[in-house]
Amino acid sequence: MPVPTSERLLAYVILIAMAALVLAPVLAGSITAFKPQIIWVSSPPTWIFEPTLENFEFVFFTRKGWQYLRNSLIISFGSVAMALMLGVPAAYAFARFRFRGSKALMQWLISLRMIPPIVVGLPFYAMFLYLERGLGIGLRDTFPGLIITYQTFLLPLVIWMMRGYFAELPAAMEESAMVEGYTRMGALLRVVLPVVWPGIVATAILNFIFAWNEFFLALILAGNRTSTLPMTAGTYIVRTRVEWGNLFAVNLLIMAPVIVLTVILRRQLVKGLTFGILE
Amino acid sequence: MKVVLKDLLKRFANAERAAVNKINLVIEKGELAVLLGPSGCGKTTTLRMIAGLEQPDSGRITIAERDITDLAPKDRRLAMVFQNFSMYPTMNVYENIAFPLHAIKMKRKEIDRTVREVARLVNIDHLLERSLRQVSGGEAQRVALARAMVRRPEVFLMDEPLSNLDAKLRVQLRTEIKRLHQDTGATFIFVTHDQEEAMTLGDKIIVMNNGDIQQVGTPHEVFFGPRNAFVANFVGTPSMNMLSGRIVADEGGYRLRLPGFELSLPARFADGLGKMKSDGVIWGIRPEAIKLVSAPGENTVSGQVELVEALGSRDLIFARAAEQLFGVIVDAQESVPVGAPCHLHFAGEQMHLFDAASERSLLNDKPPQSPHRDGGRLCKDGDIHRIATNSPP
Repeated sequence: MPVPTSERLLAYVILIAMAALVLAPVLAGSITAFKPQIIWVSSPPTWIFEPTLENFEFVFFTRKGWQYLRNSLIISFGSVAMALMLGVPAAYAFARFRFRGSKALMQWLISLRMIPPIVVGLPFYAMFLYLERGLGIGLRDTFPGLIITYQTFLLPLVIWMMRGYFAELPAAMEESAMVEGYTRMGALLRVVLPVVWPGIVATAILNFIFAWNEFFLALILAGNRTSTLPMTAGTYIVRTRVEWGNLFAVNLLIMAPVIVLTVILRRQLVKGLTFGILE
Repeated sequence: MKVVLKDLLKRFANAERAAVNKINLVIEKGELAVLLGPSGCGKTTTLRMIAGLEQPDSGRITIAERDITDLAPKDRRLAMVFQNFSMYPTMNVYENIAFPLHAIKMKRKEIDRTVREVARLVNIDHLLERSLRQVSGGEAQRVALARAMVRRPEVFLMDEPLSNLDAKLRVQLRTEIKRLHQDTGATFIFVTHDQEEAMTLGDKIIVMNNGDIQQVGTPHEVFFGPRNAFVANFVGTPSMNMLSGRIVADEGGYRLRLPGFELSLPARFADGLGKMKSDGVIWGIRPEAIKLVSAPGENTVSGQVELVEALGSRDLIFARAAEQLFGVIVDAQESVPVGAPCHLHFAGEQMHLFDAASERSLLNDKPPQSPHRDGGRLCKDGDIHRIATNSPP
């Protein structure tokens, strides 16, 4: 049924208004990131100026932003890689096998997503201290420490999402490969994973965003060596003033990788998020 | 390859009764055996146990004397075609057919030759470079056949491969499967709930219900000599007319008292009737066996035509007589209009009688031997009784 032009127009007006509401502060902030310090907080705001990269230079080099960016990348990619390696096979098992307690285990996994980070953050801190003092295993302020901790929140998401993708596929797909001379693992790798690939990409991106934005656990468990970008954003708000230009420059640094990743993989992402709907 | 199932039992968790209840079955080398039954009868579970996709709780499966019960599916050297799935979606037609060959590490050149040869056999050699989106349902099922054939297995398992196709394609592919069976000389085990498909394809039909084998025989045997009321009712479309009745002894013979009319029974039932403990029976006659006659007489009831369905060269007439509705098949030229009076004659030699309690046939404890191949067999005599009554052992 064709939608009348007037209705379509109305829909666009509403959508644009909503987008503007959400994006306007982001846009205003992003513009500030390119302002020279002298007009960060001029009133009324200055909209016409010669853009400068001095804020970026400052946060990136003077305040060691490149280190935090590196840390964030290592921790985020590391966490996602680990979550996929453990979570994808687990999700497959949940989708295909019934075993004692499998349902309860799935419920428990989703309940992990409902816990506020502080509930796990402090026990993790205590455990890390104990490991360090008792057994000499240092995990505090290390990349493995954070990557392991993040699994608490990433693994349930991976398992729940991927189980959905696996469950959509007819079991006959692997069974056919198994009769044709492959082990179940072989069938999974050669037949099933290529089919659910868009789902893996979508899962990876959502998990990456979580790990990338994570602030609280990093605040407790990271230290000088492993501080992440979101942690540094706070350092531009001090008691006496807010360094608006620098703060927004960091914000852009935080947003950029997620936007770039999403744009590059947008086809797979859409395919993954609408998996099974179109067919 | 000869396939033998011995005391095969499978019970799914939380299920009340066994999905497959200690069945015994011999499928000879080169035979096309059809497992036939309603949904939930255990036919697919049986097939999946042969494939190794389900593990039996007890019992053994041997193929050509080799016990394969505990082998992984990949080591059983058989091929399977599934109902709801025919292609690996990320591969094109060629890669689909080549896929099983990669598992045995065949050389590229040899793979190429084999794929093209098999594709030619099922008439899809012009589709090899196409992707999944560019082939129709029937073509996709041919790809599945090709993939099954490519390793030259000696046992083919087919799990309702034609059920998702439209009627015309189904008939066409049915013929092709039959031809394939003749050309390869391999053993085929075909699962279907469609009794017409079973009749046209099978050398041997295994009728199953509630996890038990009801009857094993040639299409003729199960059609003309159903061993129990279930088989009589399930095999044949339109299905057999069946009524409950009582046996009355008459001078020198037996008469059958049905609701509203009586029939005299031919002598061939005497043996079976003599052994009965009660007088309750189920009487059956196929729609094809009822004759329209011009005047009332012995074993004839009179009634009126209620409904006529055209089947093409023949008509299916539903006639009400003695307050019962009978399905009758007549030649189209001899058809009778709705509302017309008619006389239905039941020929004694075409009647079936079943013990009302056990539902076993009073005639066919030993079914007539088929002219070709051995008629299949049930292994234990005790089984037969249990099968017929559907009661737990």
